[in-house]
Amino acid sequence: MANQNILIIGGGPAGIEAAKGIAALGYKAILVEKRDRLGGTPDEAQYAALTPDFRDTDEALGEMMAPVLDNENVNILYNTLITGAEGSIGNFNVKALSLGKEIEIKAGAVIISTGFQHFDPGRETQKYGYYEHDDVITLTDAEKMLKAHNFVRPSNGEKPKRVCFIQCVGSRDRQIGNEYCSKVCCGIASKQSIEIRRLLPDCKVFIFYIDMRMYGYWENEIYWVAQEQHKVNYVKGMATEIVKKGDKLLVKGEDTTLRRPMEVPMDLVILSVGMEPSEGTKQMASVFGLKQNKYHFIETTGGVLDTVSTSVPGVFAAGAATGPADLEDSVSSAGLAAMKAIAAVRQSQKIPA
Amino acid sequence: MPVDKSQIIEKEKAIVDGIELSAEWNRMFEQRVVFDYDTDALDKVTSLAGGESMGWCYQCGQCIPVCPVDNVGEYGPRKIFRNLQLGADLFNDDDLWKCTTCMNCLRVCPKEVDMIKIMPAVREEAVLNGNVPDELQEVFEKTFEYGNPLGESQRKRADWIKEAGVDVPVMKEIRRPVDILWFVECYPAYHARGKDASKALARILHQLEVDYGILGAEEKCTCDSQRLAGETGLFEEFAEHNIRLLNKYKFNKIMVTDPHALNAFRKEYPKLGGEFDTIHYTTFLAPLMEKLNFKNTLNYKVTFHDPCYLGRHNGEFDAPRQCIEAIPGVELIEMGRCREQSYCCGGGGGGMWLDGFMADHVRERLSENRVREAVETGADVLAVCCPYEVSRFEDAVKSTGNEGKLIVRDIVELIVEALGE
Repeated sequence: MANQNILIIGGGPAGIEAAKGIAALGYKAILVEKRDRLGGTPDEAQYAALTPDFRDTDEALGEMMAPVLDNENVNILYNTLITGAEGSIGNFNVKALSLGKEIEIKAGAVIISTGFQHFDPGRETQKYGYYEHDDVITLTDAEKMLKAHNFVRPSNGEKPKRVCFIQCVGSRDRQIGNEYCSKVCCGIASKQSIEIRRLLPDCKVFIFYIDMRMYGYWENEIYWVAQEQHKVNYVKGMATEIVKKGDKLLVKGEDTTLRRPMEVPMDLVILSVGMEPSEGTKQMASVFGLKQNKYHFIETTGGVLDTVSTSVPGVFAAGAATGPADLEDSVSSAGLAAMKAIAAVRQSQKIPA
Repeated sequence: MPVDKSQIIEKEKAIVDGIELSAEWNRMFEQRVVFDYDTDALDKVTSLAGGESMGWCYQCGQCIPVCPVDNVGEYGPRKIFRNLQLGADLFNDDDLWKCTTCMNCLRVCPKEVDMIKIMPAVREEAVLNGNVPDELQEVFEKTFEYGNPLGESQRKRADWIKEAGVDVPVMKEIRRPVDILWFVECYPAYHARGKDASKALARILHQLEVDYGILGAEEKCTCDSQRLAGETGLFEEFAEHNIRLLNKYKFNKIMVTDPHALNAFRKEYPKLGGEFDTIHYTTFLAPLMEKLNFKNTLNYKVTFHDPCYLGRHNGEFDAPRQCIEAIPGVELIEMGRCREQSYCCGGGGGGMWLDGFMADHVRERLSENRVREAVETGADVLAVCCPYEVSRFEDAVKSTGNEGKLIVRDIVELIVEALGE
């Protein structure tokens, strides 16, 4: 007899959305989360506000997860790590360590929503001195300060007067191995620049970029607003190195439209780091024997017309486990994964066990 | 980038990062490295009422190929934004006076960076600080003193009607309501070639038995070009005069000779309480062309130059063409850059009074560039319907060596030639 339960691995926005959908359709979801709370990376990394609508992250996530927290169709297993899997569509036997105890989970289909991790700008290259200079930080570091409404130079606790973002750090880079565009960093840098300007109206904000990739409504909702209303300065040309000069950082690069070198002093430099597959995503690919792409994201098999099916029937992937994704992508693919997972267990019922 | 010789510094000893450089490196040139992005320069522009959209440029560069000034020099909104971002002081820069406000950039700008609002706003500041090219300042002063940019006597504003050959009714004298109030404007009232067109238009109106009148010596310059060149105060003073004057008389519509006046009546006067239904004379004549009694067939190939302030600014592209095509024997040949894409004659936005200044910044005049294009079509006649253009293009025909190949005529001059009067 095939199992009708659906196992969801990863309790971030994609996992929550998938659980919600499955429960709403009257099926049982088992939601496994390694931490002791839901919310995934936006919660763990303490995002201040969501892009592009500036909604408070805690409020938005709280609203999103409320229906699954007290839902008889959703069984949430916190502090749980998946360690092994056997079986196939309709009958997966999955081993896990839950609160230190070995358990077994049976499911007819699996949705993997283990997401991404932020690129560590000190991992491959010390080009920007992330480990060296206190005032060189990442989008994630900045996000935490913005959430606390205390945006300062880590070196001395003072409010910065000049801040710049350097785009595409750890993305679009053959040498680092991340050849893809991380999709969200242009929008998040622009969103943060608006937040900085609101918080510190006297602070000048610059964004050094290769090309601004503000697809869809991000163009008018974030990019134009940052430039037109908040006077953020966009300069085409990337900084290549950062050297300390007194208590300032000298950002060196080329202003490409001017075809001239630039060496501009900054109080704070924010590296717009991109996305990489999380450890969890890589582990789940290995546990379930899923094909991964060259960047170790889980490969989906249906091309652009099926963004959630993996190389193993009955196992689906949603959100940033399959590649760079924004929240819209994540919840959309989660809904699709929920639908396909239910279709898979229904279909497998007709197949004799 | 050219090296400014005054910026070359010879150093006896040059030490960089503790290393003494050899003598040949001791010659330092002007700063090449960008050491700062001084946002104050851009902020100064965007903080002006009308200047806001200067900060919206995202450097797509679409304005540059259609900028008539960049076609013959080095200019354009994208470059202005970039220079401002790099700290250039537009308020004290020659770049401030190059724009003719032709609106071709705004037509193609995805971000609606509006030089038509930006330029007058920044220029107004420059004017208040006395940073105006001399030749433009002279025109401001003449306008202020005489009521027209040509510095002619106000009393002689209607003298041209004595040579019209037909009766031209003046409102003050006829003392009755009219259907059409013809606002003649300065160049058509004073300039030799402008007067030719005015006389021609008077004859046409006479044959059509139009019930009309002119303001005569009471009329003052609408000053729209002075406004765009930064003289907002002058504009408002004269606008108030004209609005008061027009409110004295009864009429159904205003007909203007000058597209710049059309622009003022349509877009600026309403802001000052002057609401008048205003049309250009080609718009007025187009539906009446069939009523004219033509005696001559003109075997001309004619090409037509769309005035920026009639076409792009006020949306009238068809009426002048209908007038031209209704003339017996005339063949209309379009230039490549026509209608919405029309090239600028260089006269708008104060350009009319900045030819000497512009000569230092362009390879050839805009009017010369345009005349060459007109000649290339094989046309015999370059037809115009803006009083700035006749003299500009006639000069350009001479300076480009095209005398004998191309003549410049106002549309009404062609009509009168065909009427055989």
